[in-house]
Amino acid sequence: MDIVRFREDVWGREVLLGISWDWLWVVLALTFTAIIVHLLIMAFLRKEPRPSAAGKRLQRHDGFDRLFHWVMAISVLVLLATGIMPVLGIDFAWLTIHWVAGLILTAAVIIHVVRAVFFQGISSMVVTGEDLREPFDTTVKPGKYSLAQKGMHHAMTGLVLLVIVTGLALFAVMDTPWWERSNALSEATLGWVFVLHGLSTLGLVGLTALHVYFALRPEKRFYTRSMVSGWISEGEYSANHDPARWMPDETA
Amino acid sequence: MTAHDVMPDIELFQPVTVEDASAIAARLNGQGWILAGGQDTYGWLKDRAKSASAMIDLAAIEELQGISETASGISIGAMTTLRDVSRNPLIIERFPILSQAASRVASPQIRNQGTLGGNLAQDTRCWYYRRGLSCYRAGGNLCYADTPTSMNREHAIFGASRCVAVSPSDTATALVALDATMVIANGDGEKRVPAEKFFLGPAVNITHMTILRPGDILTRVEVPDTWAGAESYFEKVADRDVWDFALVSIAAVMKTNAGVIRDSRFVCGAVECVPHRLTAVERALRGQPRNEQTADSVAGLASAGARTLNHNQYKVPLVENLVRRALRT
Repeated sequence: MDIVRFREDVWGREVLLGISWDWLWVVLALTFTAIIVHLLIMAFLRKEPRPSAAGKRLQRHDGFDRLFHWVMAISVLVLLATGIMPVLGIDFAWLTIHWVAGLILTAAVIIHVVRAVFFQGISSMVVTGEDLREPFDTTVKPGKYSLAQKGMHHAMTGLVLLVIVTGLALFAVMDTPWWERSNALSEATLGWVFVLHGLSTLGLVGLTALHVYFALRPEKRFYTRSMVSGWISEGEYSANHDPARWMPDETA
Repeated sequence: MTAHDVMPDIELFQPVTVEDASAIAARLNGQGWILAGGQDTYGWLKDRAKSASAMIDLAAIEELQGISETASGISIGAMTTLRDVSRNPLIIERFPILSQAASRVASPQIRNQGTLGGNLAQDTRCWYYRRGLSCYRAGGNLCYADTPTSMNREHAIFGASRCVAVSPSDTATALVALDATMVIANGDGEKRVPAEKFFLGPAVNITHMTILRPGDILTRVEVPDTWAGAESYFEKVADRDVWDFALVSIAAVMKTNAGVIRDSRFVCGAVECVPHRLTAVERALRGQPRNEQTADSVAGLASAGARTLNHNQYKVPLVENLVRRALRT
């Protein structure tokens, strides 16, 4: 299995082209192995009673955050589909859809970052010492987000920022409705940009699959519901969160 | 680039049935190069820009040869030589643009050896790509033909997406105009594809010019009688009359009634990576008389949406003038 793709050009030079797509199968195999192992572990663990969704509703995500989450989610899924399907031999005119989805993701991420940093504060997403005790002490309950959720968010953030930066670099040198193709990036630089773009894509494939898996798990489904409707019940809140670390602002 | 006077070491298969050829191609799993007349293939091999460890020569498969009449038109075996296509009385009578297109391919020697299937499935002639540069079409990340200093006189004015190469096939334009069907065999059986969908632009697949994939064999081309006997026009403009690829070509068929065009298909070659249908022209012609005035009124539509490169602006008036010439009675 190759690590990266090379091609020997007419002068006998090795030209770096990008990441080897053999890694896609490795990532998929590792991801689905992790999911199966988790499924087996959860099947053997004692089932905790799930809190009721009935009762008072507490706001977890406001409408603006939910909208941006789904815009980013759809953009990432479209980017992955349009980026990977041609690699798998499924032919269609993917490039325009790909860069349009990339621009939408870029805009959504910029708005999200500005809103989170300057208007909402990032304290709820910072990993604290208390968070690190969560896996080892069942009495420790998280604030708004668990350690796993923060880890997923930060990993996703890193990969999305990398895919955006490399994607914009590639976008800058191709034909668009606003400018014509340029040779601003050398062949070697382009190769490295494609390696990083491909690496972040592979990371996103694994993380997205895990994210969807956890979103569909029965004990986590109320979080998914809250990303659609905005609320969790009082019972779900008290069973999963420490009121001292997170107090929902208002009743949904 | 060094050219070599000896062939590289290649395992040669010479099946006598399409089934055997398909089975060999499937067994070689994409490593078997399908060989028709060899006029495109041997250039690649000689220049060492592409190589093959195994080759499946279709020359001995009789069912791929010849031209026959069917209930709905004619069927042309993919291994039929271009000479035979150009001289066949049935084709000359019913589909003269196909005969004319075949007769304008390369040179008499090449038409004696080259096949219809090979002419349709041949690779582009972009010299940056043929020279072995790691361009988009070769799986790389750049186009060497679309830069401020590139030699791109022969390249695309329509449908470029990163790659600006054009389809070099003369017969492709005629067969798209005639609404032909390509019949493709592989291990799973047979599939039939409209000629227009047989060719792929770079937006859809930047490394393949047709939908043929490893294991696929183009077995025959079926030309329906839909456009048999229709008024038609074919012209290929090239730097030389013999042994040259088109700068621009046009294949047009028109059904007329008392001099008024009821329906038509206009296709240009060498302006896009696929045969370029002039659908705006076709729409505008419906119900119009075939004359000089109509020609002038629709010619501009033929070049709408063209995006030229540094050295191929001349293709815009050339396309328009070929449409004018096709419409002159």
